[in-house]
Order: sequence, then C-alpha cells, then structure tokens
Amino acid sequence: MISERRIKPLPDEDSRDYWRALAEGRLDIQHCRDCGQRTWPPRPVCSKCFGENLQFNTVSGAGEIYSWIVVYRSTMPHMMPYVPYTLALVRLDEQHDIYIPGRLLGDAVAERGMRVRAVIEKIDDETGDLAWSPLSSANRA
Amino acid sequence: MAGSREQFPQGAAIAGIGCTEFSKASGVTPFKLATRAVKAAIADAGLEISDIDGLCTYGTNDSVSPNLLAQAFGITSLSFYLDQWMGGSVSMSIIGQAALAVSAGVADCVVCYRAINGRSGIRKNASGGPPARVPWDIQFKMPSGYMVPAQEMAMNARAHMLRYGTKHEDFGRIAVLSRTNALDNERAMMKGRPLTLEDYMASEWIAEPFHKLDCCLESDGAVAVVMTSADRASGLPHRPAIVQGAAWGGGINMANNGFSELAQSPARPIAQRLYASAGLRPSNIDFAELYDCFTYPVLSQLEGYGFAKEGGVPDMLKSGAFDRSGGVLPINTHGGLLSEAYIHGLNHVYEAVEQIRGDAGTRQVKKHDIALVTGQLGYVSGYSSAVILRGQ
Repeated sequence: MISERRIKPLPDEDSRDYWRALAEGRLDIQHCRDCGQRTWPPRPVCSKCFGENLQFNTVSGAGEIYSWIVVYRSTMPHMMPYVPYTLALVRLDEQHDIYIPGRLLGDAVAERGMRVRAVIEKIDDETGDLAWSPLSSANRA
Repeated sequence: MAGSREQFPQGAAIAGIGCTEFSKASGVTPFKLATRAVKAAIADAGLEISDIDGLCTYGTNDSVSPNLLAQAFGITSLSFYLDQWMGGSVSMSIIGQAALAVSAGVADCVVCYRAINGRSGIRKNASGGPPARVPWDIQFKMPSGYMVPAQEMAMNARAHMLRYGTKHEDFGRIAVLSRTNALDNERAMMKGRPLTLEDYMASEWIAEPFHKLDCCLESDGAVAVVMTSADRASGLPHRPAIVQGAAWGGGINMANNGFSELAQSPARPIAQRLYASAGLRPSNIDFAELYDCFTYPVLSQLEGYGFAKEGGVPDMLKSGAFDRSGGVLPINTHGGLLSEAYIHGLNHVYEAVEQIRGDAGTRQVKKHDIALVTGQLGYVSGYSSAVILRGQ
C-alpha cells in the first residue's frame, strides 16, 4: 500500500532505533530508565529529567484520536494517491502528552476519543511507517 | 533566572519603511527585491545607505543574507547582523533584536528586511524546490504526509471546534474581514476583489477544516524597515514608531511533551511577557496586525493576547468588534497575509507604522498610537514572537 516515496525519514544516532523498530513492525518509544518518562519524538535526552539513560521499549500501539484533519491537497508524492484521506493525531495510551500523527485507515469517520491501534508498515530495512486503524473495525492494512 | 520580566529598553524606533510591489511573479531575484525595499525604506527615513550599520533578516525558503546585501551596498562597517533561520514565527524577533542592538548602542541604523519569491521561486514545503534546511522534527511527521503548516494549524483548529463549538463560518468571518480591509489597499494583491461568506464556504477544501480561503496568499515581494535610536528618529521626517515592547521565544507544538490541550492558544506565554515588557495591557492596544498565515491563528491570537475570552471570538466577530471602522480593536487593517500578501509577516510592520503615522489614507484607523504586531503564534517550530509599537 505504500507508493512512491520520494521523501524518506533520515535516521540519525538518536532516531535510528525508532525507525528500525518500525521497519521490523514495532512501535518503540523512548523510555527513561531513571524517571520512567516516555519521550517522543526520540531525542538525545529524556523530556522530564533530561538524562541520557534512555532505552526504546515497545508500546501497545493503542490510543485514541484527539484531533484530525482531512487532507485534500498533499505536497507529498507518496500520499497523493490517498487524497482525500483522514490524518489523525492520536494520544498514546501509555502517556497522554504524546501525540503521534498518522493516516486513518478504512472508511470510518474520525471522532474525538475513537479507539485506534498502530498499523506498522515497512518502508525499507531501516525505516517504517505508521498508520492508525480503528480498533472496533475489522479493517486491516 | 528563567526569563526577565523587566521593561524592554525603549530606545529604538522605526523611522523608515519600504516595500516592493507584491505579486505572484516578481520577475526579479529575491536579492533585487531586497535591494529595492531596503533602498525605499532608507529613503523614507531620510537617511543614506552610508548611515546603515546593521542588517537583519530571517527565512526558511528563498532569502538574501545580510552579508550579500552589505557587499552590494558597500557597507564595510556592518556592526550588527542577524540571519535568523525560520519563518513567520520569528518575524518579530528580528524587530525585537534590532531594537535591542540600537538601544544598547551596538548599531546606529539597522534595516530589518524580508525578500521572498514565495510563489514564483521556492514555494513552502518543497512543492517548488528543496528547502534550504529541513527542520529535524519534520522526519517524524512526513511519513504520514503531515508536512505543511496548513495541516498542523487545521489540526489545532479542529481541537478548538471540538472544545468550544467553533464553526467553519467563524473562520470564514476572519477571511471576509481580511479581504474587506484589502479592498482599498493599493499594495494588496486582493485589492478590489470582494469576498462573501458564501464564497468562503464554497471554496475548495485544502485540509478540512481549512478551505482554500482559510489559507494566506503565496507572494513575491520584499519589505524593509529602518530602525534607529528614538532620539535620532525624532529628527527624521516621519513620526517615529518606538519599539515599546518585544517578546520572542518558545511556544508549543506537537512534539513538546507535557502539553495536553491543543485548543489553548500558544500565544499566551509570549503575550504575557510582551505586555510586561511594554508596561501595557490588552486594553491599551489601539489596533493589531496579527500573523494570519491561516484564519484560525487569528482567532487563537485574539484569545492568547487577551482580547477575548476562550471561545468568545465568534460572537465578537459577528458584532464587528474587530472591524477596521467602528471596531473596538481593528485588526489586519491592510488585509494581512490572507489578502494583502505573504511577505512572511514583515508587511504587518509596514502597515502598523503607516497607521501609527496617520498615513494609511482610507484605511486609517481612528486610534492609532499603539499597535500590536505579531509573528506566527507558536505552532510548527514552537517559536513565536511579537512587538508593541508606539507612536512617539
């Protein structure tokens, strides 16, 4: 389902493990071994205690839609085939100040609080993509 | 100490303004646009190029660096410069920083400028060419195609609609207000082209809840303003516009952990510091030029800068509170980025200074001593900036 992708993520030392996890089908979020805070997007330091004692842990991938838009005009070649598509901003169950954007799969009309789960798609060996699928729906990527 | 709440040093004033024609195809380079606007601003101030010892600009797409302009103008004694990376969010930070430099005596005459072929050259977000530098956090949005500011601000607009029942028509009234103010503005790309709420509602979706007419123009053009000491400015041809207060710094964005309510105005923290720096309150502001890359940010800033309670803007728009004639707080008196031109926000300063001088012709607002001029309110990059200008 992934079409031409002229713009790709650019993994670096801080984000490499995040992108590789997506390539391998997991949503991994930075977790602070010292204070327990989760940080997204991946950064060199914890967003709470600012330490470097971070590890990537796989999260449930479940969350709820907080806000959404319907994209009718995209500047991204790899998304143009889907237009119009719903782009949802999802609050992760594990930590409610983490909002992750992604395309909402299926035909469901988005609403605040809609339960969704992450659907991971491989881009290449080093990177992957993330979309959201309604939990109540049988829809699969 | 995390941030001073001291009064802003008020020793600097804007003494000259200049601009080029605003269009969709300038036919010249941003470099040439910059030279034209800068020369116009210096002439307007009654100064010479040889008086200039500071140059400040900002930009994300095409731009012209201060060193290139200094070379072109033979300025060999450049003593202050700023080439601020980022867009409308930092547009007023260069005004604030130039005022600091002048107030501190680091430079005597600083020109702040922005030159952009935003339509015919490098359009925003890679649709017309690669950006010079890609923000690091973009990589976490681009897999979903969550790339352009229209999308991010529409996401926040949706949050406001969900929380306060804000409607499409409320955004539409901002588009109509802006267009109405552009109708008699010689500089405006939308001069003489009226817009109704029905036109707005019928315009195509870009990123629902944003219609095309929620989005600002794409423009070619340049604006420049000359800043010098308040003392020196008082001996120059025009009424000086003192930089009474300025604030710039961090707003909020999606990538900030610890933030939980996207309907809240990210302008609020900047607003509090701005008013403190100026020793003023919202009720002291005579008119406001609010950064309007899209309609919703105007609504959010009216809340964040203390002109309306949360959720209160729609009723005030309906009652004409922000109209240029008869409103308690005229806003975007030239048509703004939505209907004058998108010169990355610096055209707001041009208009504010013209109003303060009383030179705005048919657009002139009655009370025109104190102006609030804002940059982008804090979305996308997380930066924001604003100034308060006061007629001497």
